[in-house]
Amino acid sequence: MKPIVFKHRTAQKIYDDYIKRIQRMVADLPKEDRLDTLMEFNSHIFESISQSQPESEVDDLMEILEKLGAPEEVLIPLKAERKLHQATKTFNPIHVFKAIVLNIGNGIVYTVFAILYLFLGVFVFCIFAKLWNPDAVGMYFNQNGFQAIGVVTGQEVESGEVYEVLGNWFIPVMLIISLVWYLLITFLLKIKKSLN
Amino acid sequence: MPYVCSMNDEFVQKWKSQVKKGTLAFIVLNVLQGKEYYGYELIEEVKKHTAIEIAEGTLYPLMNRLKKETLVSSKWVEQDSGIPRKYYSLTKEGIATLKEMKLYWKELEKSIKKITK
Repeated sequence: MKPIVFKHRTAQKIYDDYIKRIQRMVADLPKEDRLDTLMEFNSHIFESISQSQPESEVDDLMEILEKLGAPEEVLIPLKAERKLHQATKTFNPIHVFKAIVLNIGNGIVYTVFAILYLFLGVFVFCIFAKLWNPDAVGMYFNQNGFQAIGVVTGQEVESGEVYEVLGNWFIPVMLIISLVWYLLITFLLKIKKSLN
Repeated sequence: MPYVCSMNDEFVQKWKSQVKKGTLAFIVLNVLQGKEYYGYELIEEVKKHTAIEIAEGTLYPLMNRLKKETLVSSKWVEQDSGIPRKYYSLTKEGIATLKEMKLYWKELEKSIKKITK
């Protein structure tokens, strides 16, 4: 991208700073989109500033950038859409996490997804909790059937209210449940995205 | 103390911004009818015809979306300044889509007129 050259140092600094803010916002996009967005904003600034007089350059530039809006706000849709695309294509948890956060403003359904992914966090937490405190973490049943996955107090186990069923199998089983859960909800996210 | 029944300004502002957001694509497609524009010029044109006060930068992600939906196409055109312009125009699909949107808009206009008498 060919940068714009300003007559005033202050204007140059304001411009450079704005371009940097765009660069930061588009850093995660594919190279082509990144360049395209930068060039588009650069062209907009250039076309508007070329109508201004040198003596009012700084003020005019400030006004132009104010009208354009903060890159951190106006470029969110671009980023959100891109992240969702990446997340559902690669199943990469980092992309998924970013996509959910960026899209929460786009409707209640993404809040539901955030909660579904939170469950996943709990499953993973249980695996670590089991390593830390093997006697109090597990999958618990009582005479009526399934009770809970998680942490119980020693009292409940001693009194025979609930009993653990998985033993050493807890970690492998939880790993499989987490993986299946993750694939399932990410697949749902993919379906949701294609319905948009 | 006299009781003044004032309007809920916050509600009106929110509603206006939703309406603007919802109609921006329609406005842009209408502007692009029969003529191609580069980004800055397109925004100027949108502003000329509508009292829409949005952050101008929001138009670019919108154009990106319209492109992905194959309603508009774009091409970079080199300039003497060395800073190229990106020209947007309607695709065939865009023209047909706009036609459908206009029909819907006319319907909406009619019913709104009826109930806001």
